[in-house]
Amino acid sequence: MIEVANLTKVYGKKKTVFTALDDISFRIPDGQIVAVIGKSGSGKSTLMHVMSGLDRPTTGDVIVNGELLRTMKQKKIDSFRSHQMSFIFQSFFVQGNESCYDNVSLPLEIAGVARSKRKTMVERALIAVELGDKIKSKAKDLSGGQKQRLAIARAIVNDPKVLFADEPTGNLDSTTSATIETLLFDYAKQNGATLIVVTHDDDLAMKCDRQIYMRDGKVQSDSDSQNEGEV
Amino acid sequence: MNSLDILRRAGKSLRQAKIRTLLTSLAIGVGAFTLMLSLAAGQGARDYADKLISSNVDPSSLFIVKDKAINGIPQPQSDLREYNPDTGSAGVGAPNVTLLNNDDIAKLQAKPYLKNVRPIYQFTTSYLTFGARDDKKYTADVNVYNPDVLSEHVTGMKMVRGKDLAANEAVIPESFAKTLGTTSDKLIGQQLSIYISRDPSALSQDKIQSVLATEGIAGLAKLSQTQIKKLDFTIKEVVKPSNLSFTNTASIQISLSAAKGIVDYSSEGTSNYQKYFAATAQVKDGTLPKDAKSKLQSDNLYAQTADDLQGFLFTIVNVLQGIVGGFGVIALIASIFGIVNTQYISVLERTSQIGLMRALGMRGKDVSRLFRYEAAWIGFLGGVIGIAAAWILGTALNPWITKQLDLGASNSLLEFKWLQALGLLAVLILVAVIAGYFPSRKAARLDPIEALRTE
Repeated sequence: MIEVANLTKVYGKKKTVFTALDDISFRIPDGQIVAVIGKSGSGKSTLMHVMSGLDRPTTGDVIVNGELLRTMKQKKIDSFRSHQMSFIFQSFFVQGNESCYDNVSLPLEIAGVARSKRKTMVERALIAVELGDKIKSKAKDLSGGQKQRLAIARAIVNDPKVLFADEPTGNLDSTTSATIETLLFDYAKQNGATLIVVTHDDDLAMKCDRQIYMRDGKVQSDSDSQNEGEV
Repeated sequence: MNSLDILRRAGKSLRQAKIRTLLTSLAIGVGAFTLMLSLAAGQGARDYADKLISSNVDPSSLFIVKDKAINGIPQPQSDLREYNPDTGSAGVGAPNVTLLNNDDIAKLQAKPYLKNVRPIYQFTTSYLTFGARDDKKYTADVNVYNPDVLSEHVTGMKMVRGKDLAANEAVIPESFAKTLGTTSDKLIGQQLSIYISRDPSALSQDKIQSVLATEGIAGLAKLSQTQIKKLDFTIKEVVKPSNLSFTNTASIQISLSAAKGIVDYSSEGTSNYQKYFAATAQVKDGTLPKDAKSKLQSDNLYAQTADDLQGFLFTIVNVLQGIVGGFGVIALIASIFGIVNTQYISVLERTSQIGLMRALGMRGKDVSRLFRYEAAWIGFLGGVIGIAAAWILGTALNPWITKQLDLGASNSLLEFKWLQALGLLAVLILVAVIAGYFPSRKAARLDPIEALRTE
C-alpha cells in the first residue's frame, strides 16, 4: 500500500515560490490501477517523483508498504526503488545503441541480480512483451511501439510491486497504444502490482480502477473518495 | 551495482562512440609511446653501461689520484696559481694537477688492503718498425697491457687473465695485418721495434756536466740532439678489440715493465720524472672498494671505484632518460585535457541515460564509477596502443640502431621489460581515472528529475 499524507512540494524561494504540490493526501491499496490526470503544470509528474522517492517533499510523508520514505537514507531509497518500483516514460528512454538484452538487463544489474539468473529473467520479460525474437537487435532498430514494449520489458523484468507509467502512450498511435495499455494492465492484474498511470488522456484514465484529477497542485477530484476520507 | 557489470557497461558505452574513444586514446597513446621508449632506452643504456663496466673494470679495482680535480670532469685552470714542482699536466689541455710520486706508490703498495698497485704510464712513441716490413716506419698508439681485461683472441699465444706479458713481448691488433700486407698468423713471433725520443731539454745540469767531463763537447753535442732509443719486442698475440671494450682503438700493448722503461727514459730530467698522474690498484678479498676509498682519503689520496664509474655513467643515462621522459609526461598532461573534455561531452550527451539509471535505483556513487571506469578504459586502450607501438617499432629498429651506434651484435639500445610496460600501463590508467574524476562527479551529481526531463 502506498500512502501520501499532507504532501507539499515548494520550488524556489520568496518571490519566486511555486507550489507544485499542495497538501495532498490519499491511499493506494496494493494491486490498484490508478490514473493521475491533469494538465501540464498540474503537479502530476512531481507527485510521481515524490511518491517514488526520486524527489523529496517539502513537508508531508510518503509511506510505501509501511515504510516512511522520509526517514530512509538515500542508499535505502535507491535500493527500494531498484527492487520494488519501476518506471515507464513517454519518451521510452531505451538506449538505442544497446541490444534489447542489455536494455532489459540494466535494472537487474543495478539491483545486483547474479549474472546467471539474469538471462532467464530477461528472456521471460522480452517474451512477455512479444519481443522474444529481438533479443539481440539494437534498440534503435525498433519501431516506436516496439521501443515502448521494450521499456515495459525493462520495467517488469525485476517483478516490481509498484509500476509508474508517465504518459506511456503519449508518443504512440491508437493501435499501438492499445497494445501497450493491455500489456501494462495485464501485468498489474496478473502480478497484483500497483500501477500508477500519469496522463492527460481521459480515454486511458477511464480504463483504470480509479482516477485522481489534479489541478494547480491539489487533488481536484478522486473517484475513490471513500479512501481519501479515511486519511 | 557489481563492479564487473559497471566495467562491462563502461566498455560498451565507449564502443558506441568508437572514433571519439580512439582519438582520445591516441592522445594518451602518444604519451605512452614516448614514456615506453624512454624507459626502454634507459634500461638499454644502463644495461649497456653495466656490460661496459663489468667487461672493462674489475669491481675490486680502484683508480687512485692525488688531486681531486682528476676525478670527474677536468676543468681548465681558471686562475693564476703558484708553481709547484710536484704538479704536471695529465694531458694536453688538461690543467696542472698534483701528481703521484714514487713515495705515494710505495705508500699504496704498503697498504694491507691493496694489491696490484700499478702506476699509470703515459707516453708517446716516435715511430715503429715491423720485422715484416723493415723498409717502412709506422705510428700507432702504444698502451700498457692490462692482464685483467682480455681482448678477443685471434691468433698466437692465448693470454690468460691475470698474467702479464714479459718485458719484450707485445700484443697487436688484427687490423695491423692489412696495413702491413700480411696475415695475422704470419705476424706471430716477428719483431716489432718501438722508437722513443727524448728532448735535449730533458737533460739535467748534473748530466750535462758529467757528459762534458767524460765525453767532451762532441758528447754534449750528441746529447743536445733529440735522442732516439730503439726497443725490440716480439709479437706474441694478435687480438681484435671487443665491442664492449673502452679501449677499442687499435693499439699495441706492451708490458708494464717495458712501459716503465719508456716513461723513465723519456721523462728523465723533467719535472715529470717518476711521477704518475694516477695509479690503479685492486682491493684484497674482504675489503670493500668504498671502504678502501675512505681509508685512502685520510692519506689525501683519492680513489674512484667501479661503482663510482657506474654511478657517473648512470647519471648521464638518467638525465637523458629524464629529458625524453619529460616529453612523454607533457604529452600525457595534454591528453588529460582530452579525456576531461571527452568525458564532459559524454556526460552531457547521456544525461537522460543517467536519469534513467538513477530512476531505476542506481546509486550516484555507481554512476560516478561508470564514468571513471570509462576513463580507465580510455587509459588502458591508449596505453596498450602506445606501448605496443613503441615495443614493435623499437624491436624493429633495434638492429639498425645497434649498427648505427656500433654497439656490438648482442647489444641493443632499446630494452623492453614486461614489468615496466605493465607498470606504465597501470600509471596511465590511474592518470586517466584522475582525469575522469571531474566529469564523473558531474554525472553523479545530476538531478535525476532534471535528467529525465531532458529530451
